[in-house]
Order: sequence, then structure tokens, then C-alpha cells
Amino acid sequence: MTYTFKIKDQVFSVDIDKEKDQTVVKINEKDIPVEFEKIDNNLYSIILNGKSLTIGVLKNGNNIQVFMNGDLFEIEAISERDQRKSSQVLSGVQEIKSPMPSRVVKILKEIGDEVSADEGIVVVEAMKMESELKSPIEGKVTDILVNEGDAVEAGNTLLIVSSE
Amino acid sequence: MFNKILIANRGEIAVRIIRACKELGATTVAVYSDADRRSLHVALADEAYHIGGSAPNESYLVIDKIIDVAKKSGAQAIHPGFGFLSENEAFAKRCEKEKIVFIGPSAEAIRLMGDKITARKIAQNAKVPLVPGSDGAVTDVEASGVADKIGYPVMIKASAGGGGKGMRLVRDKEDFESSLRMARSEARSSFGDDSVFVERFVEEPRHVEIQIIADTHGNTLYLFERECSIQRRHQKVIEEAPSPGISAKTRKKMGEVAVRISKAVNYTGAGTVEFIMDQKENFFFLEMNTRVQVEHPVTEMITGLDIVKWMVRIAEGEKLPFKQKDLSINGWAVECRVYAEDPETNFMPSPGHLYYVKAPTGPGIRDDSSIYSGYEVTSFYDPMLSKLVVWAESREVAIDKMASALTEYIVLGVKTNIGFLIRVMNNEDFRQGKLDTGFIERHPELLTPGEVDIEPAVIAAALAVEDAEEIIESDKAPQSNWKLLGRKASLSGGSLI
Repeated sequence: MTYTFKIKDQVFSVDIDKEKDQTVVKINEKDIPVEFEKIDNNLYSIILNGKSLTIGVLKNGNNIQVFMNGDLFEIEAISERDQRKSSQVLSGVQEIKSPMPSRVVKILKEIGDEVSADEGIVVVEAMKMESELKSPIEGKVTDILVNEGDAVEAGNTLLIVSSE
Repeated sequence: MFNKILIANRGEIAVRIIRACKELGATTVAVYSDADRRSLHVALADEAYHIGGSAPNESYLVIDKIIDVAKKSGAQAIHPGFGFLSENEAFAKRCEKEKIVFIGPSAEAIRLMGDKITARKIAQNAKVPLVPGSDGAVTDVEASGVADKIGYPVMIKASAGGGGKGMRLVRDKEDFESSLRMARSEARSSFGDDSVFVERFVEEPRHVEIQIIADTHGNTLYLFERECSIQRRHQKVIEEAPSPGISAKTRKKMGEVAVRISKAVNYTGAGTVEFIMDQKENFFFLEMNTRVQVEHPVTEMITGLDIVKWMVRIAEGEKLPFKQKDLSINGWAVECRVYAEDPETNFMPSPGHLYYVKAPTGPGIRDDSSIYSGYEVTSFYDPMLSKLVVWAESREVAIDKMASALTEYIVLGVKTNIGFLIRVMNNEDFRQGKLDTGFIERHPELLTPGEVDIEPAVIAAALAVEDAEEIIESDKAPQSNWKLLGRKASLSGGSLI
């Protein structure tokens, strides 16, 4: 599952990959193995590269309060729609993911094609409704990982767009 | 010996007093307002009575209601705590009239010390040092002579003043005349009264106070000093005992001065004499607080005396079983007031629901608080959540212990000053004891987290959100699109984890 969070002006994309015995968090293109335990209501013990942290988390709508070492950080969870809105601040390599289990109806681009921000690149169908997924950035399609007709799970990467 | 004591207060000080009274074997009676039904002092007391609306003037400040509860419950004594009715002469008098013991000084002592001008006169007669200055309002001719006599820098203050209006700091004699003119005209336009007085300006002032304790048998002792220079909005945030950088000689002198002024008003119970002190240990009387002080725990930690219990025993007529020479300072204590407030917006109060609270524990750590997970911080009362107090063998170790304990403190739901307090503990000036009341203003960098690695916070947020969603998912077995909708809804709004 991928989450996009905003703290003040910084935007973070966090990808959680849960394997059998290891959870890996991908943040800012870095893979970090993480041990994670909920130890009380709202209280989490996290071990990052051997560093143990006790962090309080409170979620209220899109607002997430994180209490760490005496300071409270207000994080805004950005939905896919908001994410597209703020696409101008995004750059680099972006993975276009399926937001829900669905079927790939049509791939609108080929590898090497130029895309502009907010341009539709793939159409998926879920709950008998088709929706077009758009590129969050201006760039080139560098990879296509699915075929038309494929059934995909939520969070599966469909295409990759790069601004470089 | 009192069988039943009413505690006419709320919050952590009510909790503190209830515990002391219980340990002394008395039945405790709490009073509470609408907003405080779920407050800890109500839960901890043996009896509790509702006394009215949430606004203090509908409950905790209404003398008749407090007296009614005392009579109804059969309480023999009332402990007023601090704030509210604690320094109210009329309340102390009423208790005397109703034959209920007021745990504190006499109504007369409250009256004498409550009036600034009277208190200053008493101090003068008792040969207590006052900030040198003109004795009241001065003419233009007198003013300049007074300034010459007390020496520059001087402060010109409006007699009717307040809030910094009509105040002028004068560093050089040549500026005196024009500053005096400006102060007068500002005083006239602000207060309709252009009378001013002149005082020595105390540079880099420190706030140092002496705890005194006096029984009804003529024994008045000083329990040494507290350093309270770290203040924001003229309110103390961090206190310690003893004070760093005052000599044994000054300590003794201040203690004796405090005893002298207490005796001048036949003071009984626990009280605090506040002084302003310059960086050369010259100290001047500010005022006397005729009640238990917020920061009394640091004195308890270094003397081993329970001030609240002694207040009760003294009110019962007990004689202090120790003399001044029996008292000594053991180690070092620091107190941090944990507030629901935002240091980044000039310490603005931040009321709200506390979703989660976890206080630090361990040797030498004392948390005087009244909060818990689920507690509501209302805007009716002071936003202090807790007084975290540590004791250690030295100042350095006590500060390290406080910094460590603060990082264990977790409060979720409102903004707090915990991060700010940690940064003060780690500040070099603070650690070296370079303290004065301008410390916080001089260190704006301590107000914000600054350059911190927020990646762990972001990772925790993502993991916690995913964890909460998995719980939602596991609740509903078969895979359905409705579940996905629910999952999306939980991401975008409404759910608390």
C-alpha cells in the first residue's frame, strides 16, 4: 500500500511492502526494513535499522498527529485526487498504481511516449465503472508492467513514468 | 486532628492535597464544576459535591457554595490550594466566622500582603531590601535627583500603569529629561494620570524565591530558595531548587530576610517570598504569596519535607519539631510545567481531548498531574497538564534525568510544550546556569523542533494507518467491494486509531 503524506511543505511517498517475516518501507526511494508493533492504543514501537522508537499516532480524517520525542508533527494524508492536484511539486520516478482491485481495460500509451501531468495513461474497471488513471507528472512512460485484460490488486504498479 | 477536609480547588493541586490529607488519615471532600465531573480530583476524593457552572465565578470562586459544602459534609477545615480563593481575604474571614479552619495564614496576613503598597511598606519597616527608587510619585525636579542617587540605568514607570504603558528605560543621564516627558504624556493619554515614579532597572533579572514555613507557636523557618527565572508570558515554566549560582552567604541572607517579613505579619503556614535578583546576587523584595506555590515540589525534594502535610498539621496547631539548623539541602530538583499550549504560536493554549497519555516513571521522577487518556482539557481553566519533577544528586544529573524523562512523556490530542522543555534542558546556557527572565525571548530557536529527521514519524504514520485498516478489514470476512469503499472512507475521514 502506498501513502502520500504532507508535513508542512514536504511531500513523502511511503510504500509498505509486507513480506512473510519482514516489512520493508520504501520512503524517498530508500528501502528501510522495519519492525513494527502496536503496544497500546495509539502507541507504536518501531525499530528502524536497529533504532528503537516509541511513537504515538492519532488519525482524525486526513489529519494524522504523530508524537515523537516530545514534539507533535501534523501530517496530512493526501488522497489520490489531491495528489494529482499537487502534481506540479512531484517529480522523479512515479509509479502508476491501481487504487483498487480492478481489470485493466485499456493502456493509452506505449513505452517512450511523452505524457503531460494529469494526462490519462491507463483505464481500469472496477465495480462496473471505468476510470482513467492519470500521470501525476510530466515525463516519459518508461515501463508498462501489465497487459490489457489483466486483473490487478490494489497497489499493483501498472506503469512507470519518469520526468528525467 | 482533622477528620474531614474540604479541598476547594481542582486539577493537579487538588489531587496533590487529597493524597496528603488521605495519608494523614482525613476523609477528603472534593468540589467540582460542570466541566470537572470527569476530573481526577473528583474520582480520588472520598466525597464529591457539584458546585455549579464551569466558569470559575460560577463555582470555584463562589464563597457561599464552598462554605455550604463544608457545612453539609461536616468538613472541619478547607485547603484552598493555589489560585481561586487561596489569597482571598474575605474567604479566610468567612471561614473564621463559620468556625471552619482555613488551611493557610490569617485573613489579616493575606490582606497585608495582598496589597502591593502595604506590602512594600511592611518590607521597608522590616528592613527588607526593595528595588531602590523614589518613594511614590515624583515631580520633574525630584525625578532627576532620584535617578542620580540610585544610579543608571533607571526605569520610569507610570503610577497608574500596567502593560508596559508609560514605562521608559533610561540608560544615560542625558536622555532622562526627554524620557520623563514621554513617559508622562503616555501615562496621561493611557491612564488619565501623568504621575510617575523612578526605580533602578535591574539588568538581566532573575526570579528567586524563598519558601517559608511557620507554625502557630512562633517558629518561622526558611526552606531555602527556588530559581524560577525561566518564564513565558510572565509565568514560570521551569523551576529548580536550589538556585544555581547563589552563594551560601546570599542564601542565608535571603532566608533571614524572608523570615523577617513573614514574622512582621505574624505569618503561619506555608508561604513564599519572591525576590528579583541581579547577576551579582543583589536581591530585592517583589511580593509574598500567601499560599502553597505551584512549584513547591522542588523544595520538598531537596528538603525531604512534605509542605502540604505540614500546612495541614500547622493548621491543626502542631508545633514544628525541627529548627532551622536541622534543615539542609540534599541534592538538586528540577520541575517542568507541562502545558497544553503551542510554543510556536506564543504559547497559545491548546485545549482538547487527550486521546492518549503516558507519563514517565523511574527512580527520582515525580509526576504531579491530573490527566489521563480520555481526559478533556477545557478552556475554562489553566492549561497546565502536569508538573514533572526530578531529583538527583547534582544539577547536571537532574537536568539529564529531566531531559530523559520528558522524552518518555507522551500526550496525544493537544499541542504541548514537551519538545520545547527538552530543548531547554539540552541548551548550553541553561545547563551552565546562565538564567534570567529574558531567557526564552533570547532563545527563539527552542520554540520549534528545528532540523529533525521526520522520516521515522512519516513511517510510523503509514504503518499505523495500515495497521488500523487491517483491523477494519479483518472484521468483515468475505472480500467485497463494500469493504473497499469502507477502507477508502477510513483513509479519507472519520476514523480514529
